[in-house]
Amino acid sequence: MKLNERSVAHYATCDSPADHAGFLRKRVERHHHHAHHHHATSYQRRWFVLKGNLLFYFEERESREPVGLVVLEGCTVELCEAAEEFAFAIRFDDAGARAYVLVADGQAAMEAWVKALSRASFDYMRLVVRELEKQLEEACKSLAACCKSPRRSSSGRKRHLSNPALLPLQEKPAVLENGYSTWGSGSGVPGGAACPDRDGGHAKPPPLPPRRRSAASSTVGSPVPGISPAMPESPVSPETACFSKLHSWYGQEIVALRREWQERQKMGHL
Amino acid sequence: AVLKKRLVKLVVNFLFYFRTDEAEPIGALLLEHCRITKEEENVFSISFVEEPERKYCFECDSKEQCQEWIEALKRASYEFMRRSLIFYRNEIQKMTGKDPLEQYGISEEARFQLGTHKQ
Repeated sequence: MKLNERSVAHYATCDSPADHAGFLRKRVERHHHHAHHHHATSYQRRWFVLKGNLLFYFEERESREPVGLVVLEGCTVELCEAAEEFAFAIRFDDAGARAYVLVADGQAAMEAWVKALSRASFDYMRLVVRELEKQLEEACKSLAACCKSPRRSSSGRKRHLSNPALLPLQEKPAVLENGYSTWGSGSGVPGGAACPDRDGGHAKPPPLPPRRRSAASSTVGSPVPGISPAMPESPVSPETACFSKLHSWYGQEIVALRREWQERQKMGHL
Repeated sequence: AVLKKRLVKLVVNFLFYFRTDEAEPIGALLLEHCRITKEEENVFSISFVEEPERKYCFECDSKEQCQEWIEALKRASYEFMRRSLIFYRNEIQKMTGKDPLEQYGISEEARFQLGTHKQ
């Protein structure tokens, strides 16, 4: 199965902040046909990086590309009854998918990982966003209702409802219409927005990208206002079957995969 | 360029593509740090930050279908959602003085902070 590996590796290693990172020991999974033989369970120490709903792992902390990727959709993260202390597992709803058993350095590390991973799914994020959208709409409505009735303007100290002039509704962040998620760079110009290494985004939050004026953005249409109606339903239906395939492809450490292909080539297999 | 007919499925921040008669995808595109562009009639392209000249082009059956896909894909990245969340959180906080994430017990989560998060 093809994947835009280069972009994936870039996303994994660029300066956009990780949601969590650290060393974990990963249990080596045996193939099913080995199940009858007794192999000692072994673990490999890997550097794990969580970005959004993607858990990458690298051979070394400085490695330039990940050797594995786990898409955290349709999965549960649970403490594990392994012989190892501080072990937890990522298990998928799709019964055929392999589980990932990971071991942390200590109690605190384990708890932090379990917490970070269990909230990592795209679905969870989407749920929270929708909830906040609703809340914002309601807050605006009640504010509008307040403004209709005459109000004495406050002494200016109140942060919120009293002074309509302070309504933040005028800000229409271009971020809502910009699908170009560049970290730290405001430019939407192709080639001009490589993931920045300059300030690495350390000091300040990512700036909101300016509205793109190039012709390419003309399809954006009217800006999405701060109180947009619920985002249109995208044609999405989480299906973990697709991800199992992606996992089993990517999960076999790439090095091993390449070796296999090379052997097969040598043997004249197609 | 040769265009091949594919079944295309957007699943969270991945775009899977299939040969029309097969159940297993032949490929996927991770939709992070990417740009969706309307090309000519009924065509849109996806390109990535680190290789902007390389475009994955898709031809749709209609102008409407094309627009639908562009809208959906622009909102498909996790990073887009994160920014939306941070924006809404901020707006609600400004308007009501309350942090809406507190009720979920997630206000301290690194992923929802405005600033950079430490590892």
